[in-house]
Amino acid sequence: MAITLSERAADHIRNFLTRRGKGLGIRLGVKTSGCSGMAYKLEFVDVAHDDDLTFESFGVTVFTDAKSLAYLDGTELDYAKEGLNEGFKFNNPNVKNECGCGESFHV
Amino acid sequence: MTLDFKQDFFALFGQPRRFGLDAAALDAAYRAIAAEVHPDRYASAPDSERRLALMHATRVNEGYQTLRQPLARARYLLQLAGIDTQEETNTSMPAEFLMEQMEWREAIADARAGSHVEQLEKLARELAGDLKSLEAELAEALDSADPDLDGAAQLVRKWRFMEKLDQEIGDAIEALLY
Amino acid sequence: MALLQIAEPGLSTAPHQHRLAVGIDLGTTNSLVATVRSGSATCLPDEFGRSLLPSVVHYSKAGTVVGHNAQAEQSHDPHNTIVSVKRFMGRGLADLPDAGSLPYHFVDAPGMLQLSTRAGAKSPVEVSADILRTLKERAEASLGGELTGAVITVPAYFDDAQRQATKDAARLAGLNVLRLLNEPTAAAIAYGLDNASEGTYVVYDLGGGTFDVSILKLSRGVFEVLATSGDSALGGDDFDHRIYCWMLSEAGLSGLGAHNTRLLLTRAREAKEALTEHTETRITAILSDGESIDLTLDQATFHEITKTLVDKTLLPVRKALRDAKISVDDVKGVVMVGGATRMPQVQKAVGELFGQPPLTNLDPDKVVALGAAMQANVLAGNKGDDDWLLLDVIPLSLGLETMGGLVEKVIPRNSTIPTARAQEFTTFKDGQTAMAIHVLQGERELVADCRSLARFVLHGIPPMVAGAARIRVTFQVDADGLLSVTAREQSSGVEAHIEVKPSYGLSDDEISRMLTESLSHVKEDIEARKLREAIVDAESLLEATRSALASDGDLLDAAERADIDAALAVADAAIKGDSTRAVNDAAAALSRLTDPFAERRMNRNIQRALKGHNISEL
Repeated sequence: MAITLSERAADHIRNFLTRRGKGLGIRLGVKTSGCSGMAYKLEFVDVAHDDDLTFESFGVTVFTDAKSLAYLDGTELDYAKEGLNEGFKFNNPNVKNECGCGESFHV
Repeated sequence: MTLDFKQDFFALFGQPRRFGLDAAALDAAYRAIAAEVHPDRYASAPDSERRLALMHATRVNEGYQTLRQPLARARYLLQLAGIDTQEETNTSMPAEFLMEQMEWREAIADARAGSHVEQLEKLARELAGDLKSLEAELAEALDSADPDLDGAAQLVRKWRFMEKLDQEIGDAIEALLY
Repeated sequence: MALLQIAEPGLSTAPHQHRLAVGIDLGTTNSLVATVRSGSATCLPDEFGRSLLPSVVHYSKAGTVVGHNAQAEQSHDPHNTIVSVKRFMGRGLADLPDAGSLPYHFVDAPGMLQLSTRAGAKSPVEVSADILRTLKERAEASLGGELTGAVITVPAYFDDAQRQATKDAARLAGLNVLRLLNEPTAAAIAYGLDNASEGTYVVYDLGGGTFDVSILKLSRGVFEVLATSGDSALGGDDFDHRIYCWMLSEAGLSGLGAHNTRLLLTRAREAKEALTEHTETRITAILSDGESIDLTLDQATFHEITKTLVDKTLLPVRKALRDAKISVDDVKGVVMVGGATRMPQVQKAVGELFGQPPLTNLDPDKVVALGAAMQANVLAGNKGDDDWLLLDVIPLSLGLETMGGLVEKVIPRNSTIPTARAQEFTTFKDGQTAMAIHVLQGERELVADCRSLARFVLHGIPPMVAGAARIRVTFQVDADGLLSVTAREQSSGVEAHIEVKPSYGLSDDEISRMLTESLSHVKEDIEARKLREAIVDAESLLEATRSALASDGDLLDAAERADIDAALAVADAAIKGDSTRAVNDAAAALSRLTDPFAERRMNRNIQRALKGHNISEL
């Protein structure tokens, strides 16, 4: 089981972590809410939790928890530009349908 | 434990009610409380909380300004003790003090007429020294076991005279520079 | 498909609930918008990758154009191309010494002047709103959603009228103003946080049309402004003007029309910029009558003709040092802000005054917008525990007119905001039943030398003998540096209150009318928008109340708790419906019920802060 980053996403995360001046890596997770039942969580990590699962991808440590991993296994986090907008995008193979907003999904 | 608006400024910052003050402790207490009540902490809060924060922050700033300046602090202590400092009404001063005032005024006028900015800055430093001794006298009058409140009120009135001198020096420097 | 940003630990928001906040530097020459994305402050560029939006608006029958495209119209349609509108904010025609040499048709409306354009008379507030709207649209396209709020920067030396006009412009552009922030303070945030600085710093901010200097003490996350000074009518534009005058005298020209004036001013600006890197520059132009100009300006001449301008900036610097009661030796660093600080003679003069080279490691054009974005991020609630505190001041004293045309100061300059001060006055005639109150801003003693902010009358004073009435006038300055004044007769309780809308400020009604008009352009359903706004406000109130109940619910007794729970349920139901009225009523009811709770929570926080501090002191 794994979560990966695209090389482009990893470059941006490393850059953001450097400019932020602290942080162990990033946390990917899911929480129940949103228009399609589940929502993604994407945060910096300053303190690791005991039950964290971690993955390394292009030199960036990715943190998650067992419950979230069940929904995120096989996900690749990418960085994309759409017009003036830019940011991270979850390519999650578990998703059956999304609400079209990219922020919440249903399995 | 309500922070009601009747609480005095010393209690607000958790400082003993006396003239001699630990400036670093006051600064630290002010910053800690300001950090809690500053309107920036409530920028996205509902209207009622924003209004409350504005009120509290205003009071905390007023309290800090009052306590950190010796003149304002002395006046405030006297006011708490029910003494009117009569700064506007009572202008009777010892003759010696009035003589000194005249000498100061002459020195300022001379320096100004001669466009001596350095001279004015020197006078400002001397005046700051005199204010330091006045501060020590105030501490003695207010903080002793048997405080001399009327004497302290007289010192406050003296300070007001000196403050006006400082203002005059500042105005003279500005007039020469601009 | 929204693209996600990395949130601070524990601060992920629910889907569609992002708190999108921006900082806007509304400059005389250029404007910028910035935001904090995945923890980093960044300026948002347009589709061509340009961050700077020229603060230029062109009005024509075909519509309104802002920025680079408007700039292109400058030479051939100068009357309808508004540049440097910031200089007109909150100003009347009498305030402009050079109105005659500007290519505009001014209309002297009561208070603030207006500009007559092909699209009708425009107030500087409306022109600024057009610039802000362009930046808002850019930000929303870049962030993929509606903005929650914005921090707008203003020169620290802006008076109340200029600040109020700026806030009105932002509201007119449909922005929720989280805070007006002083430009040097914004720069200090961006600079201080990047460099983890501690100590006393001077921010020297020479923009296109304004000059500010602020002295700040930075320590452990607190930015305390000790003093601020400046000149709200001095900037890079004046250097252009000196070159322009030099060109006229060298080429023996006079009485140029608007078109040629604009052309030569543009050439002057290009020459100024060229002289930053080159020791001389050639200036060529062909005037509308076919006459050609070909001049060479060298650095030495440029420095000579602008020396008085550079010297003029050093006076407020000295004044601020005196107000802060520090000497140049106490200054740890001098931060340079504003495009005009690129001029070598400016850097040299500042370096000589402070005996150290000024700090120029941040882009002087962007640093204000970046700092504003960082503050907006904090105010919107996107930052964790390690945020900072700004203690800013008012730049100019506030006072009241007293007998004989004199001004009595009520709040002295450099007072930390928010602040309030009350002064008591009395009647001077037997049976006097009204008292006129005239609010002024400035340092001078005579009313005529200060800026008049507002006049109002307290009516209904019960007739008494002269000197018996006690009228208490209270000045309150909020965290935006904006003043409101209340007058109250103590024995009868008769009261009058005004938000100090400068005599010429727009009333709230005027703003909502203008907002409605501008919205109808985009054919937006206003009712739907009102409902959506009401729901968003109510949701944030519900969220705040729930989180307060979770952390401090013990401060309530069972009955109070039950009342609040009931009001929460009503509000919850209302936001699922479609009645704006019901949402607003439910929110107001909840807000009233939670007022005492909020008070108790704030007291608890203060006690905690004090305790935490005492423990750490021991």
